[in-house]
Amino acid sequence: MSFDKQLNIIDYSLSSIWRRRFKSLGVMVVFSGVIFLLASFQMTTKALTTVAGESLASAPEITIQKMRAGRQESIPVAHQAKLGVIFGVRTITPRVWGYYFNETKGANYTILGLDPLSMPLGDQLGQAIDNGSLPKEHEVVLGQGVQASLNSSGSSMFSLFRPDLTLKPLTIAGTFKAGTNLLTYDTLFMNLNDARDLFSMADDMATDLCVTVANPNEVPTIAKKIAALLPDTRVVTRAQIQKTYQAVFGWRSGFASICLLTALTSFIIFAWDKASGLTPEEKKEIGILKIIGWQTSDVLVLRFWEGVIVSVVSFVVGYTLAYIHVSFFEAGLFRPILIGWSVLHPAMRLIPTVDLGETLLILCLTVVPYLATTVIPAWRSAIIPADSALN
Amino acid sequence: MTAPLIELEKVCKTYNQGQPNEVRALRDIDLVVAANTMVCLQGASGSGKSTLLSIIGCVFPPTSGRAAIAGKQLARMPDRFLTIHRRNTIGFIFQHFNILPELTVLENITLPLMPLGVAPRERKERAERLMGMLSISHRANFPARQISGGELQRVAIARALINDPPIILADEPTAHLDHALSLAFMEIMQELQRAGKTVILTSHDPLITKHPAVERIIAIEDGAIHVP
Repeated sequence: MSFDKQLNIIDYSLSSIWRRRFKSLGVMVVFSGVIFLLASFQMTTKALTTVAGESLASAPEITIQKMRAGRQESIPVAHQAKLGVIFGVRTITPRVWGYYFNETKGANYTILGLDPLSMPLGDQLGQAIDNGSLPKEHEVVLGQGVQASLNSSGSSMFSLFRPDLTLKPLTIAGTFKAGTNLLTYDTLFMNLNDARDLFSMADDMATDLCVTVANPNEVPTIAKKIAALLPDTRVVTRAQIQKTYQAVFGWRSGFASICLLTALTSFIIFAWDKASGLTPEEKKEIGILKIIGWQTSDVLVLRFWEGVIVSVVSFVVGYTLAYIHVSFFEAGLFRPILIGWSVLHPAMRLIPTVDLGETLLILCLTVVPYLATTVIPAWRSAIIPADSALN
Repeated sequence: MTAPLIELEKVCKTYNQGQPNEVRALRDIDLVVAANTMVCLQGASGSGKSTLLSIIGCVFPPTSGRAAIAGKQLARMPDRFLTIHRRNTIGFIFQHFNILPELTVLENITLPLMPLGVAPRERKERAERLMGMLSISHRANFPARQISGGELQRVAIARALINDPPIILADEPTAHLDHALSLAFMEIMQELQRAGKTVILTSHDPLITKHPAVERIIAIEDGAIHVP
């Protein structure tokens, strides 16, 4: 088939879509909606997985939390001495990790208190700070989201409430670079003692102990030894947290996938119905085209191009809307299903990534079934006899 | 003596063959039409003249008999080749014009050229030449639904001529036209015949059957050529 012939048929396809614009628009709106849902879901899941992966990359290899009656409580820093005897443990760092709800701003902050210099490569944390340095006593480094929430650009000081409602003043030592937003967006990073003071914790306590090990292959063995030494604690390895995330996302994404595939199936039935229901005018048009010299294959090519144009336009619209939905509206439709407020912190920013493989997968899951759906109706219209135009 | 352009020998056409609703539309038709002539097929509704026109127009082959149109035998010719032969040889003018109302006049006229891969500029040039000849150039960009019946028929004539076929078939062309427009139509057909085309019309209209340009009247009755 010549290139000019294809151009002519594409030209006629566009004109045909325009002439049936209400029918075509109906299909495109529904099709774009289905692609929007699938792509939003894919981008949200991908972004969440990325965030979870990034979070875990900076998590300690082993975290120790004290448990009482199945609930977490503060852990004595003195446990450090007991764990020092385990061969392979590199460092044990007490950490205060908690959440602070700012009622005035309606925002949830993550409070992180630790002495970075007591951790391996802790001094490199300073490189993530813009215009400032690691926090000293009564100083704090803010995430970009916290800074925006506090609107503290004009002031170098602010205060937070302790549990007894007395104020704890803090001086801003710097802000985290925008490039670290995935991890630091809602974070206030401060000295360990300041974090204890903010939450009214005793000086010899922390929320958890972070353990680094010399050889990553020994993490499970060391975790077992810690659990044996401290039977009233929960010892969590990074791999276990990763498995939990995967299980949660896996179950939820599986459930949502079933719902979306149901929507896709419904659309295909809808598309079939639209494509197969030829009106008398459409039948007459095909009859005229055939009697004036269009071949059955020309009509099939015409229908194919109509399908390609409708599906590609729908794909581009649906995919673009999905990107906007995830990027600018924080995936409002899927976030509650996939995250749930208790699984990951709500202030987490989603950054969608356009993955070529997954984009092609969605293309195959939507455009290909649509084109396949229109093949038989297209064939049925293409074999309308030429003499039907004579009657 | 001009070589025959259309040769039919013992041509029969049966619809729904072997079924309870079988209809024998044509029986043993023998017909020879020379090139560059004007012939009128005359007959009552249901007599078989449209079926005969369809066979001459290469729309479908006969059920039996021999049909040669512009030198090609139609019997057992696959649909694909029948279509190619039709678009190279035949220009159709339909009773109801069969113009697509949402397309412009220009788009309607150039429709037969689209599957041939003719570039847009050439399509336009060919159509403009025909529109000028038929005095409808001023309507080129009008949607066909907005033009008059007489203009619609000239659009149909232009579309039939766009591939420059040697045979023009017109099925009841004046059935929906007034006297003046019918006369104008016959003048155009006469011009085409003078230009070397073979014109075959079906009609009951005396204006056509008695028109001086019509060289032969072939009466069809019950699917057979009636010899008085």
